[in-house]
Amino acid sequence: MNEQTLITVKDLSVSFGATPAVKNISFSIKAGKVLALVGESGSGKSVTARSLLGLSGGSVTASELSVCGQDARALSDRSWQKIRGNSVSMILQDALMALDPLRPVGREIGDGLKEHTNLSAKQRKQRVLEVLESVRMPEPELRARQRSTELSGGMRQRALIAQALAGNPQVVIADEATTALDSQLTALVLSQLRALKDQGRGVLMISHDLAQVAHLADEIAVMRQGEIVESGSAEQVLNDPQHEYTRKLLHAVPSGVPRYASLSSSGETQPSSAVGVPASGPLALAVADLSKSFGKQSAVDSVSFKLPQGKTLGIVGESGSGKTTTARMVLGLQKPDSGTVELLGERFAPGSESQRRKLREHMGAIYQNPLGSFDPRYSVGQLLADALSRGKSKRASEYRGQMEQLLEQVELSTNLLGRNPRELSGGQRQRLAIARALAPQPSVLVLDEPVSALDVSIQATVLDLLDRIQLETGTSYLFISHDLSVIEHMSDNVAVMHNGRIIEQGDTTEIFGAPQQEYTKTLLSAMPRLR
Amino acid sequence: MSRTTKICSIVVIGIWLLMALAPSLLAPGDPLAINPTEAFAKPGFAHFFGTDESGRDIYTRVIHGAGDSLAIGLAATALGMGLAIVLGTIAALSPRWLDEIILRVLEALYAIPSLLMALLIIAFTGPGVGPAIVAVGLSTAPGYARLVRSQIRTLKNSEMLEASTVLGRSTWLKVRNHLIPNALKPLLALVTLGIGQAVIWAAALSFLGLGTPPPAPEWGAMLSAGRTYLHLAWWMSLFPGLAIVAVAVCATLIGRALGGKVKSL
Repeated sequence: MNEQTLITVKDLSVSFGATPAVKNISFSIKAGKVLALVGESGSGKSVTARSLLGLSGGSVTASELSVCGQDARALSDRSWQKIRGNSVSMILQDALMALDPLRPVGREIGDGLKEHTNLSAKQRKQRVLEVLESVRMPEPELRARQRSTELSGGMRQRALIAQALAGNPQVVIADEATTALDSQLTALVLSQLRALKDQGRGVLMISHDLAQVAHLADEIAVMRQGEIVESGSAEQVLNDPQHEYTRKLLHAVPSGVPRYASLSSSGETQPSSAVGVPASGPLALAVADLSKSFGKQSAVDSVSFKLPQGKTLGIVGESGSGKTTTARMVLGLQKPDSGTVELLGERFAPGSESQRRKLREHMGAIYQNPLGSFDPRYSVGQLLADALSRGKSKRASEYRGQMEQLLEQVELSTNLLGRNPRELSGGQRQRLAIARALAPQPSVLVLDEPVSALDVSIQATVLDLLDRIQLETGTSYLFISHDLSVIEHMSDNVAVMHNGRIIEQGDTTEIFGAPQQEYTKTLLSAMPRLR
Repeated sequence: MSRTTKICSIVVIGIWLLMALAPSLLAPGDPLAINPTEAFAKPGFAHFFGTDESGRDIYTRVIHGAGDSLAIGLAATALGMGLAIVLGTIAALSPRWLDEIILRVLEALYAIPSLLMALLIIAFTGPGVGPAIVAVGLSTAPGYARLVRSQIRTLKNSEMLEASTVLGRSTWLKVRNHLIPNALKPLLALVTLGIGQAVIWAAALSFLGLGTPPPAPEWGAMLSAGRTYLHLAWWMSLFPGLAIVAVAVCATLIGRALGGKVKSL
């Protein structure tokens, strides 16, 4: 394979007004190679990628910016249009948002060809089918006529990649193309990217998670605050990181890290199990034969599990496997068709809300999007006061001491009390949600994808916080996630859900070490690992 | 909307409030004082807005009429909105059959033009300030109620409400602390628009002789009285008419400014 350099960037800077987003970075993308740009949100990765398409929206300067043999520094909008889709194209992040729900995907894919080529309608149709076949879309002729809403998640992802490939580009940019996908879809996208590389195209992969890029990247560049702090061959960066920040990112990946070991800082040892938990006592949570169907569709099918006090049960599965419906029934937000939920040995569901209410203080919930669970009119202080006062008194001053204690417990500054949660960062918001859930001193927390919207480095600090709280207070966690590596790190026991059923459950090390079910094995083989 | 427009609207509404709360400050005279010798005087230094057929000073009467129009505008909107909150909340939170019944009733009421409904109510109660308030209030309620209902229905299924349920809040606390305040916030702009509308309707009822009875100074009633002498004394109708227009336009402008602000939040 020839080592032709497709894109060369030297001293690229992008700024928006007076704020620099990217500062003097240099890299190159070679044919048949994958370059991964890794860093947390706001580090300038996406701006860098977009400036390769002339879409950065800021003012771009560089001593060299050559895109497929053209000097791209002084290109007009028209010339950029010729590059986009033809020489360089981008796989977008969200398949549901990026495809027009009202048009057949075949036409969406063919649009670029109409613009860039002289192919006849018939030839274009042929080309669309070719690309759909190349991404292994099942029944391409049928799918090309369907709209994106009629396709499954996996097919949509394939269509999105096909769209990027229609113009036969030399360079493909994948901007967080695997983020927020469950493990099987992630595996699908990664295998597609590998195929692109094998076809001799250059690939630029952008991710906040080193584990996602570890197996595909030939070279890795780590970005932080607009600068590349470290770059080199993948092997070198992953095995012998030079910069402290790279080490931090590597450390933040939870797969293979033992229970309670810190992800955000190294060398810290914590006791191996929670303190202050009675050895014998009622189970924190006992769920028996829980079932729920919507119409004829069975969402959850006789799910049973037990959660001892001070322990964590991880529920893992793809999207649509019934995890969230299970969580909602456990929380008494959805009435089960059959089955029971017992909280600390007392009947919690089914039953009337008024009977349940006195038990409510023993169980809290954390959601994926904390902002949606806050009253938009409330400041941080009001939110906590509302939780502490059980909604009765609105005078925040009475609870000042307790509020500060809660904020300290979740490692937030007490200066934030007067702020609106909208002004906080994603990690801070999730900490606030945890603080609020802890206010009534619950025995059980139900966490539904609590870190899925966070960068790996922020995720590490939130997971460490959850560990610490569990050790200090003996709170039990029902931890729901699609992310196997997070589940592996956080759980004492794991339940694997598939099509509404728990197909396998048991000790975490046993399930991850020697899975019995075929489905669990495929899930685990699709899991991106560093170690 | 430009800054100047906003400032002008606020100034006009401010003057209106001042007129309503302390009319004697701006017009020390008696709005009911009759002086037949000065009947139909043209606007001038003695009488800024001229006088009417009985020699009453139009300027004084316009100022003193602000109180009634403000009272009717605010009270009618408050009544309509209050009723709407109760009906809308009940409809949104009740089981489907009750929701359907309330909705059908609201739709039936909504189908009748508001002014016609107000006339219908006055036909039962007889004319007067109180009946005018009730009539305008009741006729605006169905429209508001449908909005409150849809707002609360959206909020009812939000994660915010679920979080509140998980924290163990009773239905009443959820309604009081989260549902109603959040449902009303986007309606604030609409309420301001509604006040301007209510002022116009109150004037319309008085114009038809169904609101404030003469000789009390009320803009609609004054407009109506001036109609007879329109060829002779245009000022009798012009100035009360301008007052109605100014207040209604400014309330609308402020409402739209608020609406833009709510959207940007």
